[in-house]
Amino acid sequence: MQKDPEGFEKKILHKFANLSNQRILEIGCGEGRLTWKYANASSVTIGFDSDRDAVRIARAESPPAAQGHVHFAQASASHIPFSTETFDIAILAWSL
Amino acid sequence: MVHALDEIRRTLKPNGMLLDLRPVESNWSVEVSSSTGYQAAGRLTDLPVAVADDEAAFHAMREVESRKWYIKKEEEEFAFFYYWDTPSEMKEFMEEEWDDFEKLEEDVFQKTKSLWAIANADARVRVRVKMLMTRWQKI
Repeated sequence: MQKDPEGFEKKILHKFANLSNQRILEIGCGEGRLTWKYANASSVTIGFDSDRDAVRIARAESPPAAQGHVHFAQASASHIPFSTETFDIAILAWSL
Repeated sequence: MVHALDEIRRTLKPNGMLLDLRPVESNWSVEVSSSTGYQAAGRLTDLPVAVADDEAAFHAMREVESRKWYIKKEEEEFAFFYYWDTPSEMKEFMEEEWDDFEKLEEDVFQKTKSLWAIANADARVRVRVKMLMTRWQKI
C-alpha cells in the first residue's frame, strides 16, 4: 500500500504556510509520516501523539540530520505539555 | 475537541497559525489507475461513526470561531490517494484498518476486479480520499 505518491499533501502544506525557520507543533503526529514532509526546514518541530508505540517508531526513524531540532513526545491534546506562546504554527495532522 | 483547540491556542504565539489537515467523508471513489489514465469503479459507503466524527470536528471549529479564538483565513479541498497493487490487497486493508468507518460493498469490489483484470499491466487500484486543509489564525 502506498499513500499519496503524488505528494499532494506536501504541496498544499507548503502552499498554505511558510514553514521555514518556524517553531512548529504537530498534534497527532503518529509515526511521523507527515512530519518529515516539512520538519527539516523548520527551526524546531515537536510532534506529539497519545499513541506510545507510534511515537517510539517516529523517534526510531528520525534521520540523523533531524536530530537536535525535531522531537517527538507522547502526550494528549487535552493537556499539551509546553509553555504558553511557544509555537508559530500548529498542525492538526488528521487528528481533529 | 474544543478544549484541545484551546490548549493549542495557548501554546501558539500571538497571531500564530493553526493548520487543520484532515480527511472528510464523502463516499470516497474507488478507481483503477494506470499509465494511460483511470476508471472509477464505484464509491465506498461512509459508516455512521465516521460521519459523526466529521460532524463533531466541524462543530468544534465552528464553536472556537464563534468564541473568537481563531479566524479562518484560507481553505481548500484536495485529493489524497491510497494505492494498492491488487483489488484483494485493497479489500484486506479496508477490512483491517477502515472497518469502523468505511465499507467496500461487494458490487464495487467486483467492478474493481473486473476493471483491473482488463487494464494495463501497470494498473493499480486506489481510493480517492477527499481532504480538507484549513488555515486558521489565532486571535
